[in-house]
Amino acid sequence: MIARRPNTSKPLTKHVPKLLTYIVLSLGAAAMILPFIWMLSTSVKIDSEIFADTIQWLPSQFDFKNYIDAYQQTNMGRLFLNTGFVTFVSVASQVVLGAMAGYAFARLHFRGKNILFFSLLATMMVPFEVLIIPIFLFVRAFPLAGGNNILGQGGTGLFDTYAGLIFPNLISVFSIFLFRQFYLRFPHEIEEAAIVDGCSRVGVFWRILLPNSRPVIATMALFAFLWSWNDFLWPLVVVRSDSLNTLQLGLSLFNQEQGTQWAELMAASTMAVIPVVILYLLLQRFLTKGAVTSGID
Amino acid sequence: MAIASRDHPHRKQQVSFGRRLYRFYNSQAFVAFLFLILPVSLLIILKIYPIFYNLYLSFTRYELFEPPRFVGLRNYRYIAQNSVARQSIWNTLLFTVQAVPLGTALALVVAKLLDENLYGKIMFRTLYYLPVISSVVVSAMIFRWIFNPQQGLLNYFLGFLGIPPQTWLSDPNLALPSLVMVTIWGSIGGNMIIFLAGLQDIPGDVLEAAKVDGANAFQRFLQITIPLMRPVILFVVVTFTISIFRNFGLIFMLTQGGPLNRTNTLVWEVYMSVFANLRLGRGAALSMVMLVMVFILTIINFRALRERQG
Repeated sequence: MIARRPNTSKPLTKHVPKLLTYIVLSLGAAAMILPFIWMLSTSVKIDSEIFADTIQWLPSQFDFKNYIDAYQQTNMGRLFLNTGFVTFVSVASQVVLGAMAGYAFARLHFRGKNILFFSLLATMMVPFEVLIIPIFLFVRAFPLAGGNNILGQGGTGLFDTYAGLIFPNLISVFSIFLFRQFYLRFPHEIEEAAIVDGCSRVGVFWRILLPNSRPVIATMALFAFLWSWNDFLWPLVVVRSDSLNTLQLGLSLFNQEQGTQWAELMAASTMAVIPVVILYLLLQRFLTKGAVTSGID
Repeated sequence: MAIASRDHPHRKQQVSFGRRLYRFYNSQAFVAFLFLILPVSLLIILKIYPIFYNLYLSFTRYELFEPPRFVGLRNYRYIAQNSVARQSIWNTLLFTVQAVPLGTALALVVAKLLDENLYGKIMFRTLYYLPVISSVVVSAMIFRWIFNPQQGLLNYFLGFLGIPPQTWLSDPNLALPSLVMVTIWGSIGGNMIIFLAGLQDIPGDVLEAAKVDGANAFQRFLQITIPLMRPVILFVVVTFTISIFRNFGLIFMLTQGGPLNRTNTLVWEVYMSVFANLRLGRGAALSMVMLVMVFILTIINFRALRERQG
């Protein structure tokens, strides 16, 4: 009977902390998404409303021409195509190579395994930005590419090519680490049963472990996608031709050219984030685990 | 294979060549070799060799179109004496000091508030995470608009508080704080996720016992949650700091190191040395300074991780 006492008899002060929590969280969330809402609102405005003296939250009319202008001026179809291609290859490579190496480190016994693994793991802490000069020089001096001889001299190597754009994104130590952690906990019995039945180790990996790795693959694919899709410094350094521009690179150039064409700039930004937001909403349950393991965004 | 020899012990000596080949192919060492050759080669090319080559380059004068020439410590002496280079190190530290404590505290508070039974918990988490998945380029473009002195949203809001319009990114005193603002905005979601996981490891009975003893929510947070979360907090502080060291896109998009070099950080100075001035040796030396700073933080980080596990 006591438990069924109606809620209203509770003193009102009981609800205050909870209410306060909601208020603070909502204010914070508003600060987080207000820039995006402002981006959306600006992207459909006409110039006279953008440059009006007072802030107009909602446009009086929806001007979708900004989107068409932005799409054409940035050549966004091409940007999407380039970024999509580079991202797809990078994600596939990071997942497959990470799974292979992760399997070897978790499941196979060979001499020097731990030393090798921990020296690779240590390199995870070396930021790409620190190594950009030697990596740039390596890509530029890639043998037998872009007019280079076998010693990597004479031409520009993989500079300003898709291969050069993708090259540093082919592998991630984080991926190896993530798959290793997963395979360490994978039940041994299944693997052993398959080997008794005459399956080779490569077969075990390909037919049993990989198909059962979907959660890790999803986590890793999402991270690799975000890194590759949002990558900026490397494309900036390695791309020269406009035809090779990635989305981020194209947007940054557009940003420099357009100055204060805010509607077009915001329309272009909107188009660039939408695929990421959709993918994130679809895969967000896989993200938490990975973020916690890595400690990186 | 143990199983096979148990089945046919007398045939052990007579295995065919094909069978032996298969056994070799199926041996753990060979499969490991097969699986590791590509990933490990790539990591050697992309991670290990560059560290040493960069170290070598930092002792040379190298302007890309002529071969590198060994000059000893000249690049390091330059960094120690040149005021712009020194300022870039100072700015990096200043950026860190302004962003990390506040950003970490906010992320921890949000995580703590979200660690309750709330309606719309997942929605809140998603909203806080959105800035993290948005690219630096897009975030920078939005904030360039928000910081706009004439029609910008920020000046509009400050107008309500009676604060006169500021020029934000072109004001030498406000440019770095403006970048700090964007950085904190973009980092809360990521750090919050790590804190949420850490909070789940705090035993509920400890908090319950404190509650029984009459500690209020604020006291429990300060005297139980924070001490127990210390390793996680340290972890976030270190990774957050490293991410600030790496923060190139925001500076490229918003200030280009200006005004008056006030937002010229190490990573920007490296980029300018190499890709604007073609001073590769100098850029390599600056990179080494950055690497050493990251390395020190990483040692702290590993200590924190060990503490977290132990």
